[in-house]
Amino acid sequence: MNLLLVEDDDGYAATLAEELRALDHAVTVAPDGMTALQAIDREPFDAAILDRMLPHMDGTAILRRLRESGKTLPVVMLSALGRSAEKVEGLEAGADDYVVKPTPAAELEARLKALVRGRQWTSTGGGTGDTICVGDITVSPTRFRAWRGERPLDLVKLELQLLAELARNAGTVLTRAMLIERVWGYDFEPTTNIVDVQIRALRRKLMADGEDDPIVTVRGVGYMLRD
Amino acid sequence: MPAPRSLRSLTLAFLLVFFLAVALTGFATYRATQRAIVELVDERIDALSDAVLSQTRPGDVAAIIGRINVITDERDTGNVGFMLTDAGGHWLGGNVRLARPLALGYSTLGRRDRITGLSAGRALVRDAGGGLTLTTIAETEPIDRENKARRRLYMLGFGSIVLIVLAGTALFGALVSRRIGEVRETARAIIDGDMQRRITVDPAGGAFAEQAATFNHMLDRIAELMRQISNVSNDIAHDMRTPLARLRGRLALIAARPDAAGLADEIGEAMDQCDALLAMFAATLRIAEVEGGDRRAGFASLDLGALVGEIGEMMTAVAAESGHELVLGRCAPVRIEGDRQLLSQALINLIENALRYTPPGVTITLAVTRAETGAGAAAEIMVRDNGPGIAPGDRALALRRFGRLEPSRHNAGHGLGLPLVDAVARLHRGTLSLEDAAPGLRVTIRLPIAGG
Repeated sequence: MNLLLVEDDDGYAATLAEELRALDHAVTVAPDGMTALQAIDREPFDAAILDRMLPHMDGTAILRRLRESGKTLPVVMLSALGRSAEKVEGLEAGADDYVVKPTPAAELEARLKALVRGRQWTSTGGGTGDTICVGDITVSPTRFRAWRGERPLDLVKLELQLLAELARNAGTVLTRAMLIERVWGYDFEPTTNIVDVQIRALRRKLMADGEDDPIVTVRGVGYMLRD
Repeated sequence: MPAPRSLRSLTLAFLLVFFLAVALTGFATYRATQRAIVELVDERIDALSDAVLSQTRPGDVAAIIGRINVITDERDTGNVGFMLTDAGGHWLGGNVRLARPLALGYSTLGRRDRITGLSAGRALVRDAGGGLTLTTIAETEPIDRENKARRRLYMLGFGSIVLIVLAGTALFGALVSRRIGEVRETARAIIDGDMQRRITVDPAGGAFAEQAATFNHMLDRIAELMRQISNVSNDIAHDMRTPLARLRGRLALIAARPDAAGLADEIGEAMDQCDALLAMFAATLRIAEVEGGDRRAGFASLDLGALVGEIGEMMTAVAAESGHELVLGRCAPVRIEGDRQLLSQALINLIENALRYTPPGVTITLAVTRAETGAGAAAEIMVRDNGPGIAPGDRALALRRFGRLEPSRHNAGHGLGLPLVDAVARLHRGTLSLEDAAPGLRVTIRLPIAGG
């Protein structure tokens, strides 16, 4: 991906850029709002990472400018504070995702990839209505039902929501933090491994008839449903 | 009498003294006018007896009686009487008779003197010469009737003064207590975390306005100091987390280098320590966010029983992984106004604490009950384990920030779990308590049910 990183802390920007480059992305660093807006006018980025606290023009102001000028590129906002009110503010200003500093580069990459892929999907879509089909897995979140092939799956609410989220993003790695946010709806991260435990339970039910494991574990990052 | 201290006893003492003064003034006025009337009547009978005796020779019975008759025929003497007696007290003439002998000088007459048509009067007994005595009598009765009117007047006059003072005192009291109430309400709002509350200052000025302005000024100062503290914690968040993030990033980059292959474990450990520090900052900031009170604005009605049930179900598998048993006790449906996120976090925190600080094999029980307390209805979330528990002396330490108990120091955790739960309970105007479950620990979050 071709990424723009807007961050005024030189050291942090350099480290994060280097980490992202190590993950095979092109990274342009802009230290302030004006530089960032000029860079976006000049070059088509796949996504931007925007620090919330910047000198002169803060993250939300840059974002508003960006959205007002019709730029729709996915933006992940970075914040050192991470209060829920600020998160809402960021999302309302037009951010696609909001993470608290310091996010490991792998986490940030996963979020950016999910956003970029999400954009590509909106036109194609998989399945009819709200029903999602991935391989031999079918999930219908509104009817609270799921199937593996012809076999109906007996899932509790949380497992079904987890499977639906994985299916919606099939082929994309979802991190534990992303799952906690989107499936559990929590604005905090429990210290116990509730995601792993839930994934294990889901896997058991998906593989009850000796089928192969449809969920890929990406060590240290998260989980992905094979598409 | 000890000096009255409270405002109430001061007011009562003031009213008592006031009533005493009013009563004394009334009584004195009454007595003074009474005396004035008697003096007037006395002057009149003195003048009348003069009118009889100055025109006659002393001892001349016939002349005196004649003079008496002349005077009693006059128009304005209908309420006066005369009596002439000799040295032996025998009646010689006049228009009244007295049942008892009167001494020389002035005396007061009443009903017991049985004079027809007279119920109250004054008499003057004078020596008329030659052993004769002339008694002159005047009624004070019509003046007595006037007395009643006067008494009514006093009652009305002094009564209205008393009423005005009573009403004034009550009004003043109400005014003072309204102002004090306003201060109390403001203080309470501040305690609850609404640092923006201020007392309205009366634009007309006065002592209360001055006090309110000073109070507001003090609150401004406190708010300013708190802002500074919060800025410091924001600065800590920004200025400490960013370098930590940088450090963590560096470590990740080093770990990825081919020549660091042999150091993977050490680097991983260092990164874990970074993460622990970052988690500590996150928890501190979360507590600050909760204590700020802003999240009250997002309170919504929720069923606490259902929420605890859901989390209990979810955490059962997590507990099983560490060899603990999580039992869902009775979760009564209790609706409260609250923050779903924070209540979930608090409950998960408590369960995680129980899992972290008790050995495998321990049973953890969750329950929600509705309790009626003296202060109204409350919802109680209980997390109980039958593990080793916390010694009574250590419970306060467990609630303190970064306060970690000795045997658990080597454990993961930053000592901010219970303080966060405590902050969440306080945000909901509730309490957190740790009790001995004999054996084990019972943690109770008690949340008031608004209007219940």
